[in-house]
Amino acid sequence: MLKVKAGDLDKMGLLFERYHRPLFGFLYHTTGQVAQSEDLVQTVFYRMLKYRHTFSGEGEFRTWMFHLARNVVNDAAKKNQRVVYEADITPRSERTISTPAADVQLETKQESEVLHQALAKLSPDHREVLILSRFQELSYQEIAEILKTSEGNIKVKVHRAMKELKSIFLKETN
Amino acid sequence: MDEQFDDIEKTLWEQMGKLPVPEPSKDVKIRFHAMLDTFKAEEEAKKEGIFQILLERFKTIFAYKSAYNWAYAMILIVISSGAGYFIGKPSSEVAANSNEVKRLSSEVQDMKQMMMLSMLENPVATERLKAVSYTQELNNVDDQVIDALLTTLNFDQNENVRLVTLEALIQLADNPKVREGLVQSLLTQESPLMQVALADAMVKLQEKRSVKQFKELLRKENLNDAVKGKIEKTILVLS
Repeated sequence: MLKVKAGDLDKMGLLFERYHRPLFGFLYHTTGQVAQSEDLVQTVFYRMLKYRHTFSGEGEFRTWMFHLARNVVNDAAKKNQRVVYEADITPRSERTISTPAADVQLETKQESEVLHQALAKLSPDHREVLILSRFQELSYQEIAEILKTSEGNIKVKVHRAMKELKSIFLKETN
Repeated sequence: MDEQFDDIEKTLWEQMGKLPVPEPSKDVKIRFHAMLDTFKAEEEAKKEGIFQILLERFKTIFAYKSAYNWAYAMILIVISSGAGYFIGKPSSEVAANSNEVKRLSSEVQDMKQMMMLSMLENPVATERLKAVSYTQELNNVDDQVIDALLTTLNFDQNENVRLVTLEALIQLADNPKVREGLVQSLLTQESPLMQVALADAMVKLQEKRSVKQFKELLRKENLNDAVKGKIEKTILVLS
């Protein structure tokens, strides 16, 4: 990214190849929309180019990228004046990757559907920390940097998020 | 996994890790590269734009400067040409002309003086009258001319010449030698007309030194009565 900052814009292609999937995953889990997430991926990379001078190089590129991604999601939410997370109209079964055993697959699908619904019903703050910590596998320290808060605060948030998720999940299963 | 989580939470945590994530479509990559190319083109255009603006301003500055420089250069050429024409060249000409005029004037003066002096010796009275009249045209009257005029005043045979000479000398009365000559001339003059004219001249010049000469003149036996009366009045005026 430092090379991009220095003016070698072609290097952004390499960063795209390396990070566009994790970024898409974050956006998908945040918005629940495939098409919107793809659009937002473009927006995030555009902002990386436009605001490349703000990358100090001191922290991880990933941290900076998710920081930008959060802002993009928030801006999109304000612009669209709607709830950020919406369930995709595409049937989830069509979007999942198939597994070899049919019965296991069915069970997994069912559990995944419930968990997915539970995640969708989570409060945005809790959903965000879970996405970053579980799906993106960022450390608490990194998440704290992205959300501009303390590592302890993130730890508490993740804990509460899991409590809330369990509560919703149990309600959904019952 | 956090140790504070219970079993259900741990299971959910594990399941979350298995939640499938759809693959972004291939369009994402195509759109990204299109966006990147557009961005690069915009950046280049911006750079060129800035460069063009700077270049244009640079040119404009120099264009204006050039124009002003040309204008200043032209003005300076005109001024210096004018100054050279009206001050430089004429100064030498004027100086030369002035010197020439002075030289010629001096020569003319010398010639007039020589002519006057020679004409004073002319036997014809009218020529001598002309000669005396030339003294009024002389700028600088030197001692030679004054001597010549005083000689004419005292010894010229023609009374008219002597009278005109007296008038000419009165004009030169600022010169002490002239005043002295006029005072001394009182005793030399025999003509009553000249004596009266001199008496008027002394009054006019307020020459008190002439009183002594007048008194001496009064002692002359053959003095004209009219002249005697005139001299007495003059003595009274000057005393």
